[in-house]
Amino acid sequence: MKGTYLGEFQEIVLLTIIVLNENAYGVTIQDEIEKRTNRTVSRGALHTALTRLDEKGFITSIYGGATSERGGRRKRYYQVTNLGKQALQEARSIRDELWSQVPKFAFQNI
Amino acid sequence: MSKVELFPAPPKRWTRFFEWFCNEVYFEELQGDLEERYFRNCGRFGVRKSKAIYRKEILRMFRPSVIKKIKTQYQLNNSAMYKNYLMVAFRNLSRNKLFSSINIVGLAVSMAVGLLAITFVSEIHSYDQFHDFKSDIYRINNLRINIGRSTTDYATTSLLMGRRLQEESTNFDMIVPIFNGFNGDLIHDEKHFQIKGQYAGEDFLNLFTFPLLSGNPELALSEPFTVLITEELAIKIFNATDVVGEVLEKNEELYTITGVLKNPPLTSHIKFDAIASLKTFEAKPSPRRTRILNDWGTMWSSYVYGRLSKNSNLQRAQEELDRIAQEENAKVEHFRIEPHMESLTDIFPGDGKNNQMSIVMPKRSINQVVILALIVLFSACFNYTNLSIARSLRRAKEVGVRKVVGAKKAQLYFQFILEAILVSVLALVIAFFLFKLIRPGFIELNSYTLSTTTLELTPKIYLYFSIFALLIGFLAGTLPALLMSKIKTIHVLKGISGRSSSKGFNLRRVIVGLQFTLSVGFVILVGLAQKQYKYALNFDLGYTTDNIVNIYLDGRDPSLLSTELKKIPGVESLSTIYFLHSTGTLNSDYVSNIQGTDSVITYNNYIDYDYLDNMNHKIIAGQNFTADGPANQAIVTESLLQKLSLGNPAEAIGKEFKFYNQNRLIVGVVENFHYGTIFNTLQPYAFILDRDREMYYMNVKLNGNDILGTMDKIEKAWTQLYPEEEFYATFYSDAIERTYSGISSSIKTFGLLAFVAISISLLGLLGIAVYTTQSRIKEITIRKVLGASLNNLVLLLSKNFLIIFLISSVVAIPLAYSLFKSLVLRNIEYRISVGFWELAGEALIIIIIALLTIGSQTFRAAKSSPAVNLRDE
Repeated sequence: MKGTYLGEFQEIVLLTIIVLNENAYGVTIQDEIEKRTNRTVSRGALHTALTRLDEKGFITSIYGGATSERGGRRKRYYQVTNLGKQALQEARSIRDELWSQVPKFAFQNI
Repeated sequence: MSKVELFPAPPKRWTRFFEWFCNEVYFEELQGDLEERYFRNCGRFGVRKSKAIYRKEILRMFRPSVIKKIKTQYQLNNSAMYKNYLMVAFRNLSRNKLFSSINIVGLAVSMAVGLLAITFVSEIHSYDQFHDFKSDIYRINNLRINIGRSTTDYATTSLLMGRRLQEESTNFDMIVPIFNGFNGDLIHDEKHFQIKGQYAGEDFLNLFTFPLLSGNPELALSEPFTVLITEELAIKIFNATDVVGEVLEKNEELYTITGVLKNPPLTSHIKFDAIASLKTFEAKPSPRRTRILNDWGTMWSSYVYGRLSKNSNLQRAQEELDRIAQEENAKVEHFRIEPHMESLTDIFPGDGKNNQMSIVMPKRSINQVVILALIVLFSACFNYTNLSIARSLRRAKEVGVRKVVGAKKAQLYFQFILEAILVSVLALVIAFFLFKLIRPGFIELNSYTLSTTTLELTPKIYLYFSIFALLIGFLAGTLPALLMSKIKTIHVLKGISGRSSSKGFNLRRVIVGLQFTLSVGFVILVGLAQKQYKYALNFDLGYTTDNIVNIYLDGRDPSLLSTELKKIPGVESLSTIYFLHSTGTLNSDYVSNIQGTDSVITYNNYIDYDYLDNMNHKIIAGQNFTADGPANQAIVTESLLQKLSLGNPAEAIGKEFKFYNQNRLIVGVVENFHYGTIFNTLQPYAFILDRDREMYYMNVKLNGNDILGTMDKIEKAWTQLYPEEEFYATFYSDAIERTYSGISSSIKTFGLLAFVAISISLLGLLGIAVYTTQSRIKEITIRKVLGASLNNLVLLLSKNFLIIFLISSVVAIPLAYSLFKSLVLRNIEYRISVGFWELAGEALIIIIIALLTIGSQTFRAAKSSPAVNLRDE
């Protein structure tokens, strides 16, 4: 079934939106991801991920206010839907389960 | 202070580029984000770096999720919309009757010219396309080099070349020799039928695709004294087509008909009524026939066509021709022949080879027709463009409303293009009738079109016509459609229309200027050509041609005729000459002084004792030819004396010079005169006395009383002497006029097109003038109320146009003059002198006509009553 799979970048985006809570729009999401992962993310790439998430129904968006810094263009704020949160939890539980199976000695020599 | 005021805006061009490719749903959000980050980055990294980041970000937007979805089709049923387009178009046409009729009539006139050009060009290019083997057939053409004298390109080659190819060629699998000389009278049952035709080799029907109605194609020309005739001729002679086996007489030889051919297509460069078997020449030889068959140098009316075999190529065939030519050239002196191959389909239109089998239209004159037609067409398209742009303000509201309702730019563009096409289709209908009207005139325009084109309409031509109308509509409509579809909704609905109109107005001025430049240029060209033509006709030749009638003797003894003619009271004097001066025929030979050194090209002609007096040549030393003098008398021009250093005219009398192998005695010296045309410079000249020479022309001087009656009597005298023979007589001035028929037919063509171009641009001008005055009528009225005089107002309205006219004239005059120099004067030696007023005068006339056109409108507007114009507000 298409749509339930959550890519790595998409997962980060989803989590970032939750972290940013009320203030999640393009610029803040981009900044937050760059800050946390220490890698540059293009706005285009972010847009692709957001579109995918939107198609899967994991996020919704509403237009917010315009500021002069944006040339009078409105912001689009994103929120994670319950479906999105479910998907995140699912992804996490799969990971947790796997982590619990990892033998302890596997990380001894790092 | 906010960041926005501190830093420059992000690169505009990039933003626009982004807007162009970005899906409009996301653009607001994405661009907003980019801009926000840009300003923030400006504060952190500086403007330069953040601009670079901005650009990079935009480039990285180039991904499927961002790019616009390309709409390939509209799923909707749009027929109602199209219906609406058509209805609106018709309403617009009928609402603005003046503009519509200017547009349609202007387009129709120029499209008629366009239709003519299309029909003409497509007919020219269909020549010789009906032959099955057209791509494999080649004609052998000779380049004849008369050593030390001239090099001339001929469409002919010797029949010897044909025979050698037939015998030894490995590259041609079929050779057909043709001799162009089966002309004259065919006799059947004591009735004479004038025909034109050729003698051809036996494979004629195998090589060319001329289908037989009756007879056996394999055996058609295989025997001597056999002939094929066309269906048309068969019906003329026998009133039937199954006439195989009948016998026709020609020059006391009997030819048996072996086949009747379907009439050959008009688009064949081989034109004939009958084709006789070339074997006749071998079966019944005569000195002339033997020479035609076997002499390498006798190549003037014989043609050789060959089919290149499949396993050969052009290069190998050419090598073979070169080898044959080398062998044969070795056997002759004084000339050399270089054979070349020309593809059958390249023969017509031609590149000016001499001695074509029938008249071949030169490529140059076709290009001329096409270019001129295009110019006229553009002019008419300009009219449409111009008037549509002028009226676009009136339709701006419609565009605005359509946009608000949801019309896309492309749809609006399509709507206006559709309107233009509608106009051009309406124009096509009128143009079609105009075309039928001017077709006969065009065919008679010059000798080439008269004998090679019929301008028949075929289904293909109708197809071309429709495509043409669509194209013209598209061409004329593009610019207005683009401007209309770009109109900003918000401006229209707010009522701001001044800005967009001023932009259009400049464009319109440029267009009016262009059109006007064309018109003035055309008129100046035609005027100059006309002057040059008049100059050529009335050129002081150095002898008199007034009231001289030239009778074509064709080598008959002139004494019989002259005795008869002298009895006629209207005939003043007579003389005979070998060929006529000043009509394009020239003969030149080498002449040298008596020691044989210092040879010089000298033009010459043979005359009788009376010629110089009859034609009023001025003898400046010595005397005329005398009947009791020696046989080697010659009379020369002053320029020959200089070239041979024979001293002054008086000293030269009695001296001798070498002409061919004879010594010629100078008995008289005449003033230099123009034996050639305005295309030739004056060279040394000699009149030669040759008492045994057959003379070809008799010059009859009439005394000017009752010329028609005298001509009648002369013709009667001729018919009494030669009842069987045609009487050819022309006035000298007509003969000279015919010599310059090339110039006169160009003048006719240019004149016609100049007329069309001017009419079209005046129509356009009228439209613009009407529009300008209409849209400024309130302003004019208010000015008038405030006290402006009639003159003020007319000047106000005409000033802009006057400036355009002056600028156009300044551009057009030098342009037309240099065109005239390069096109017409190129090889003319005796030219008219062109002064400033000759050029400016013509331009002035056009300007005055144009001003009158505008004046008619401005004057009316300026005179109209203020009460009427101001009442409705």
